Amino acid sequence: MNLMYWTILVIALALVILLPRVGLLALFKNWRATHEREQMEDALKHLIDREQSGRHASPESLGGTLDLSRAKVTRLIEAMETQGLIESRGAELHLTAAGERWALHVVRAHRLWERYLADEARMPLGQIHNEAHRREHNLTDAQLDALDAALGHPTRDPHGDFIPTREGALPKAEGMPLTAWQTDRPARIVHLEDEPAIAFEQILAAGLRLGQTIRILERTPQRLILSDGENEYRLAPTVAANVSVAALPESELLKREAVPLVELAHDQRAEIVVLDEAVQGFTRRRFLDLGLTPGTLIYPELQNFFGDPRAYRVRGTLIALRKDQAAQIWVKPV
Amino acid sequence: MTTPIQPNDILVKAEALRNGLSTGFRDEIVKSLYTEAESIARRAVKAASDKKYDFDQKVDRLVTSPLTGLPIMLLLLGLIIWLTVEGANVASDAIATVLFTLGDWGRALFESINAPWWITGLLWDGVYRGLAWVIAVMLPPMAIFFPAFTFMEDLGYLPRVAFNLDWMFKKAGAHGKQSLTMAMGFGCNAAGVVATRVIDSPRERLIAILTNNFVPCNGRFPTLIMLATVFVAASFPPALTSFIAAGTVVGVVLIGVGFTFLMSWLLSRTVLKGEASAFTLELPPYRRPNISRILYTSLIDRTIFVLWRAMQTAAPAGALIWILANVPLGDSNLAAAIASWLNPFGLLLGLDGVIILSYIIAIPANEIVVPTMMMMYMGAGMMVDGPSTNEAIRSLLVNGHGWTMLTAINLMLFALLHNPCGTTIITIYKETKSIKWAALSVVITLGTAFLVTFLTATVARLLGWV
Repeated sequence: MNLMYWTILVIALALVILLPRVGLLALFKNWRATHEREQMEDALKHLIDREQSGRHASPESLGGTLDLSRAKVTRLIEAMETQGLIESRGAELHLTAAGERWALHVVRAHRLWERYLADEARMPLGQIHNEAHRREHNLTDAQLDALDAALGHPTRDPHGDFIPTREGALPKAEGMPLTAWQTDRPARIVHLEDEPAIAFEQILAAGLRLGQTIRILERTPQRLILSDGENEYRLAPTVAANVSVAALPESELLKREAVPLVELAHDQRAEIVVLDEAVQGFTRRRFLDLGLTPGTLIYPELQNFFGDPRAYRVRGTLIALRKDQAAQIWVKPV
Repeated sequence: MTTPIQPNDILVKAEALRNGLSTGFRDEIVKSLYTEAESIARRAVKAASDKKYDFDQKVDRLVTSPLTGLPIMLLLLGLIIWLTVEGANVASDAIATVLFTLGDWGRALFESINAPWWITGLLWDGVYRGLAWVIAVMLPPMAIFFPAFTFMEDLGYLPRVAFNLDWMFKKAGAHGKQSLTMAMGFGCNAAGVVATRVIDSPRERLIAILTNNFVPCNGRFPTLIMLATVFVAASFPPALTSFIAAGTVVGVVLIGVGFTFLMSWLLSRTVLKGEASAFTLELPPYRRPNISRILYTSLIDRTIFVLWRAMQTAAPAGALIWILANVPLGDSNLAAAIASWLNPFGLLLGLDGVIILSYIIAIPANEIVVPTMMMMYMGAGMMVDGPSTNEAIRSLLVNGHGWTMLTAINLMLFALLHNPCGTTIITIYKETKSIKWAALSVVITLGTAFLVTFLTATVARLLGWV
């Protein structure tokens, strides 16, 4: 009796552990394989990040980014070299063609997810990176294509970075060198050239970054003085030639003359100027469906007793919007 | 001769053209549509006067102002619930009398043709009685509540409620319209789940679906009222009885509302993080309600729809309940054996085995939980009403089956928080098309119910109250 009891118990235990696919051992193996792949993908992302900013990754930088011990980094690098994803050249790590393809796939997944989280899930920009990081693995190319199509084929992520295409191409940044830009006309930095490295270092040291909105205050043969409204930056013309800028999107220009809807006083009539660039996806479609198109007359009519939401009269209907949404509709009082 | 254009060519062409589009082309399309529509409207529509508009504005001020808005809202909701509870009592009794008399005739017919006792029992005391019971208790409250609610909806008043309450829901990461689906939940949680279709944002809609069950429905109100009257109010002077009972029920409802907000807050920050979301709320002009449409939507779309789903699950449950009560085991029956096996677990939650078993087998509809419980307590062979007076119920439960005040209070909490009924679970599945969300709705409610009753029981025992 006792023997039978123990035999059954041992068999059951063995089954729980050894059963293929659902057994504990299989689950553990599966988990470890997934974990290894995710770590590799994170490493690839780090390498391509570095390469795009003109530097190369090293075992130290990799260990720092992934928060791994020296021994673990060495093992990771060896594994990736065996798979033909990277090559070490001295202290530098380089992506192979295969590695770059995979890295771009992960970058594409990450940026598409960021777009989704910002547009459809309306998550705060500060949170989307981590959530996208969690979701970027485990998606096939076909699934990414579906996500891409569902989002309306966006070209940039919410931070302004380009999303790689399926073929792995990063679109060329449009724009012209800063030295050729008119004085006093606002511009957005669209590209920082990383060759030669010495100029790039100076640009970074001056504190300029991608996506910044700037204006040229003063131009002399010796230097350019720029402002972003708060700080001033000084660059030598040879260095400034490595900064590409482009005109602000039209909506940014329109916003300068307008106020957010949320600041409108009760019964103050106004005309919609533009919907903020930050409103995309689902919310933008809803706004448009409700007739909140540029040129439409709108005014606040009904206040909730706690101030939020407020109802606005548009085209004869009454539509309630929360404060955070009304802050994204720019209007001109009439 | 040209070759016909292949579908694929169009796709390729579209793909190539897409890259040249500016990001704002969608805005442009919508803008041109609206411009066109406006020019047509200008030619075709003449506005007679602003009288209607001024009237709407006056009403809007009244129902959304801090002084009058909230009282009007509570008054209307209270009125609808009172009408439902009071009106349903009379109608339920009448329907029950008719249906049970029919059942007795059917039974007599089967006996007269000498059908085996178990066929008669299973069919008439099990399946038929389960169906009759569900119809008798479910139909009248729904037939009163839904038309009243639909009347408010048709009037255009309900969006104003959502507008008033949105600030609270916003804090919980939910949508103001959830207040409407919750109000609908008082009528029936399955209908409340269907009503979440008015919430157009996927995340907020899921929150509303998953938390709807924390609002006690018509099927649970009688249980709450009975317990509040028989146990809580009985320890107060007779003059205060009805007041205390009403206060207790309101208190339980408020606990449910509290859990709705807590769970909405948790869900929007955990599992539902990253689901699509948007907020807009249209406040349509007030309209004269269309009575025939109200009756159609409320009776056919809502009442019959829910009742039909409930009947589908009530019939097998009725059979199961009868089998459990009539299969002998030792000197007792199957139901008693399972109940005594479940007893330690029930006691841990401040309940008992019979209550747990009743909730398991009466999953199709909350209305049949108490009759099933009474059947087991009274040793009957089919679902029965309890004793007719409050004192008799009290003595049966307290003296006969060891109930305490803790049992009564925890049963109220369990009735409020436990898993959705079978009908609601099926509805959640149908609405979300996902087993995952249906399962989650059970897990979070049942988990909350177990946790809360376990905590109250433990605290009460540690403090020596029972």
